[in-house]
Amino acid sequence: MIRRGWTRREFIRMAGTSVLSAWPAAALAGGGPQARPSVAGPLLQVALVPCSGYGPETLAAAIRAGWRSSRPPDLRGKRVVIKPNMVDVSPDRPIHTDPRLIEALVLHIGELGAREIVLAEGTSHNRDSEDLFRRAGYEALAKRRGIRLVDLNYDDVTPVRCVNPKATLLREIAVPRTIGTSEVLISVPKMKTHKLAGITLSMKNMFGILPGMVYGWPKNTLHWNGIPLSICEINGTVKTHYSIVDGVVGMEGHGPIMGTARKVGVLIMGDNALAVDATAARVMGIEPGRVDYLAMAHRLRLGSLRPDDIGVAGEPVDRVRTDFVLDPEYAHLRASRGRG
Amino acid sequence: MSPRLAQAIDFIKARQNPDGGWGYEASRASLVEPSALSLLAILSGGDKAGTVRGLEFLKSCQKDSGAVGIGPKDPEGSWMAYAALLAFHALGAGREEQRLRDWILGFEDASGRFTKEEIAIVASRYRYDASIPGWSWTPRTTAWIEPTALFILALIRAGVPATEKRIRSGVDLIVDRRVPSGGWNFGNPYSKSFELEASTMSTALALTALGAAGVPESRPAIGAGLRYLHKSLDGDISTASLAWVSLALKSFPSGGPRVAGVTARLARLQMDDGGFRGNLFETALAYLVLSGASILSPVSGERR
Repeated sequence: MIRRGWTRREFIRMAGTSVLSAWPAAALAGGGPQARPSVAGPLLQVALVPCSGYGPETLAAAIRAGWRSSRPPDLRGKRVVIKPNMVDVSPDRPIHTDPRLIEALVLHIGELGAREIVLAEGTSHNRDSEDLFRRAGYEALAKRRGIRLVDLNYDDVTPVRCVNPKATLLREIAVPRTIGTSEVLISVPKMKTHKLAGITLSMKNMFGILPGMVYGWPKNTLHWNGIPLSICEINGTVKTHYSIVDGVVGMEGHGPIMGTARKVGVLIMGDNALAVDATAARVMGIEPGRVDYLAMAHRLRLGSLRPDDIGVAGEPVDRVRTDFVLDPEYAHLRASRGRG
Repeated sequence: MSPRLAQAIDFIKARQNPDGGWGYEASRASLVEPSALSLLAILSGGDKAGTVRGLEFLKSCQKDSGAVGIGPKDPEGSWMAYAALLAFHALGAGREEQRLRDWILGFEDASGRFTKEEIAIVASRYRYDASIPGWSWTPRTTAWIEPTALFILALIRAGVPATEKRIRSGVDLIVDRRVPSGGWNFGNPYSKSFELEASTMSTALALTALGAAGVPESRPAIGAGLRYLHKSLDGDISTASLAWVSLALKSFPSGGPRVAGVTARLARLQMDDGGFRGNLFETALAYLVLSGASILSPVSGERR
């Protein structure tokens, strides 16, 4: 596997079209303009809530608090798809989104009147999803709560033209039916460093919606397309309606698989994935504008990473900032102290 | 055929789509891998007449280039072509088989696209030789363990000699990408200074392919891989992995004594409706393994 970075030519090619018109928020999943909410105040709203552990009551209280103080979607009568992050599973390292958080979210969503809840993932490295779903605890959770568990790698697919087809090697994206027919898509990533992207949060988590049977394991076609570009194109084409970053315990160092656990004790929640990711990056001690794909997403107006555009409810970022150990290759991402 | 195994065939037949193919699950879009494996199972069950419509579906998936993708609308070929080759061969679709075999043998992965600098970076970071041609999931991207293993297996079962240049290269790739402590994962032995963990399915597929290619058990990679599989059997293993593990163990003398236990374990996963997890591919694969179908199982003289 080799990183195909965001080349100057790729960017120039993309910039040539994007400067004329920003991408719409999404082509799918009930997408619509998400950049300018009608309420007064900051452009975007993110909740940064303390969450000291994975106990059910602690999680339920944190989710409720974050939900209240952000701009959550209306779930009544809706078909909701939860997309966790499960690139792999290890008993020793916190690679995947903790199933206790997913379970608390399922209960919360149920209370808010969702018609159907689906837990869906398309694993990236190891294609033995039966094994991974079991070891991750997702299979038992789905059974316990009576929700469907879907392996997106083998789901039926619908080709969807990329919003900005001139800018891409991926002229169209094969979108799994489960994602394409969802009415609300909630991304629930783990807060982690990433050996190829710097960090992985909500936007990068969307790699996992693309089916391995089309893109391979790991989703190598996307790597060849350029990781930043692929992340932006997926997020520009498929709308994530809400994001919850599992920052109770994250992974630092050589993520997303071989890093080490780092306790932060927060959930970061909001309806704009870029704003959520930018806030999570700041919590990790990372300057989001230095992360290629976040900077690209900002330029493409998939939201904003500027602090002035993001209202953070709950804890101030500086109070919970926990500098993640970075691979030396990504040392340049480190934010200086004193920035919110 | 035992009544239980016959139920698996009934399960498959009852879930054939109107277009003649099968999806991974009932009422899902027909795709090449579940269709080809379902056809092999039906054929192996003795019902050649029951394969006609399914074979027509598979033929409809072949492009002018000879390539087969994941389904009839796929604009180009990809990894599921391995299953189509097995089916074309077993069902006597000689013209389609020949064209597909040529396409597979000419398959372009990324090995020829890497610059010397990139090959050096890969060698330093992931500790494998990216210049060795193998097979990738999709054309012109990086080769990985599982598609390389599946194509090697299909080519050999379709009669291509293991001495063929691309097969030998694929074998070299698999051996080169082994995890030092034993077994294989998707295809990265290391990430910088970290040795990555092996996985059961990748290891079983790699060993099955190496066994089919006649790589002897005396090779250290084989012994270490078999030890990894033996250890894996102590834990929970998925349906598909159990099937591949059974084939992998059958491929080498020291694996033989454990095969019966693994197949018995696989057989216990069959559900009351005759299927395995409701998945057509897994049901067909399990049937082929449990019935000892020659299209997948090691043949006499293969072991060295």
